[in-house]
Amino acid sequence: MKPGRNHLAVAAAALAFLLALVLPALVSGYGIRILNLALISAIAVIGLNFAFGYAGLITLAQAGFVGCGAYLTAILSTAVGLSPWLSIPAAVVGTGLISVVVGLPMLRLKGHYLALATLGFNVSFVIVATNWKSVMGGTDGISGIPSLALPGLSVATDHRYYYVLWLALAAAAWIAWRIRYSHIGLAMIAVRDDEIATGAASVGVTRIKVQAFALSAIYAGLAGALFAHMTNFVAPEDFALGHSIIYLAMLIIGGEGSILGAIAGAVIVTFMPELMRDLGQAYMIVFGGLMLLILIFLPKGLLSLAGMVGRRLGIAGR
Amino acid sequence: MSQQLVQLIVSGLAVGSVYALVGLAFIMVNEATGVVNFATGQMVAIGCFLSVTTGIQMGLPLAAAYPAALAGMALFGIVFYAVVFRPLQDRPVVTVIIGTVMIGIVIQNSALITWGSVPFRPRSPFGRQVVDVFGAAISAHALFVIAVSFLMIGLLYAFIYRTAIGARMRAVAQDRDAARLMGIGVDRMFVLTWVIAGLLTGTAGILVGPMWFADVNMGDPIALKAFAAIIIGGFSSVPGAIVGGVLVGLAEMLGAAYISSAYKDGLVFLVMILFLLVRPQGIFGERIGQRA
Repeated sequence: MKPGRNHLAVAAAALAFLLALVLPALVSGYGIRILNLALISAIAVIGLNFAFGYAGLITLAQAGFVGCGAYLTAILSTAVGLSPWLSIPAAVVGTGLISVVVGLPMLRLKGHYLALATLGFNVSFVIVATNWKSVMGGTDGISGIPSLALPGLSVATDHRYYYVLWLALAAAAWIAWRIRYSHIGLAMIAVRDDEIATGAASVGVTRIKVQAFALSAIYAGLAGALFAHMTNFVAPEDFALGHSIIYLAMLIIGGEGSILGAIAGAVIVTFMPELMRDLGQAYMIVFGGLMLLILIFLPKGLLSLAGMVGRRLGIAGR
Repeated sequence: MSQQLVQLIVSGLAVGSVYALVGLAFIMVNEATGVVNFATGQMVAIGCFLSVTTGIQMGLPLAAAYPAALAGMALFGIVFYAVVFRPLQDRPVVTVIIGTVMIGIVIQNSALITWGSVPFRPRSPFGRQVVDVFGAAISAHALFVIAVSFLMIGLLYAFIYRTAIGARMRAVAQDRDAARLMGIGVDRMFVLTWVIAGLLTGTAGILVGPMWFADVNMGDPIALKAFAAIIIGGFSSVPGAIVGGVLVGLAEMLGAAYISSAYKDGLVFLVMILFLLVRPQGIFGERIGQRA
């Protein structure tokens, strides 16, 4: 899909963003917190889309990188005492650097070997965060993380923070869109489609993979840092392996390889527990079963369903 | 040798042989059917809880409770084949990974609803009996675990390499299409593979229960160690799974005692990642086509 080819989809996305702007006026305190979490997840999942959706790397480390961003900004803004406006970019850059150091050796692996290695990274991150009490606070985590504030205006309430997240998500999506159609994005997709041919066309396959992995982690780091300054508290279990699986599930449910799919998946999966709250304990069974059904019957995600309906109605254009 | 060292080595071997069984279940399925089963750990948990149901809740003597639980796991393998494997067969590896992870979530939460969140303490056939080994007091159950695991592995070996059905299974693993052309019922071999996976994970679950607790969340930690074991041993190698499992079990126990009990799992994953980077084919592995 070239940019501009699907005008209607872009118009619908623009409308959705505008609607999103007025949402906080309509949603209560608890709902806005869930909405904020959905926006944060969306940033992490757009990131994951670089590694998994474009470059085809199966990574189960996304929650670990979200954790890196969250803990880095937490440490920098509490123990070091930096302003969040400095600690957030520092955390994003730091997470990117960590991902390059981790990714350079790991990205030689493929398929389920890469999945297991990244899984090992995520589990190890939680083990370190749980046990390195002096710096990362152990199971108690790190509390007292300052909220974002502009001169004369605090954005500590969830309703105000929503707009910060909204801006961050819009910027993240726009940058991802630009990267997707740049030579970097095209090279990533080429690596996924045929690694050997791409290598033969003298594109540095390893370099492209590391770039995709690092972009993925940079987005995760941003998501984590924004999360830390919303909750003012970070603890290891928020970044456990299960969350990496959820991020991957969000991307698959929405539609891998698509930025809109990443956002849609993040929002749907974040709100799913709320919609199915009546199910109680059975919720996770229904959730897992639903995911499996989507994998089997809609391998390209829910967005492909929308596309199919659109084509049937003849409105989505070609 | 100090008494403590003997105790650690025996318990490391016991835990390690459980990892070996789980690793073998993983390898058997992956080799024969090409499916990377991320729900293997949850199958271990189900095996453990079936022995809780037969041995504790129904109050059967263990000589009847264990075979009943294993029969349940064989059935579970068939159901898994029909409900999970058939629809996911021949899908991209990512779909299979996420699909089996999702099935793992379904199994784990079904277990939570069925058996509740309070852990059970299954009894061992040997109770709390203790045996003297090189002057060290060793739990009889640990020796039982080692003996049963190696008996299972021996039976598996004999079955795969000494029977006609085993030869057919190997043929399917080597080349599915050629095997089908030779008149082998490939689908029947797949069912058999899942039954064997059910029996191996079931045995692991039954054995591990009295050592730790029967907890619905026990699957993932065990599966993670089994993954580490087969990566260290060699992903497609049966002896590799055994050696890898024992190494991981020993590293866990000795690492916890002499290095750091908090970081014992981190140690295991560090070794696993080092192996992935330095020797991705593992100790015994040879086929490296799809690794690096």
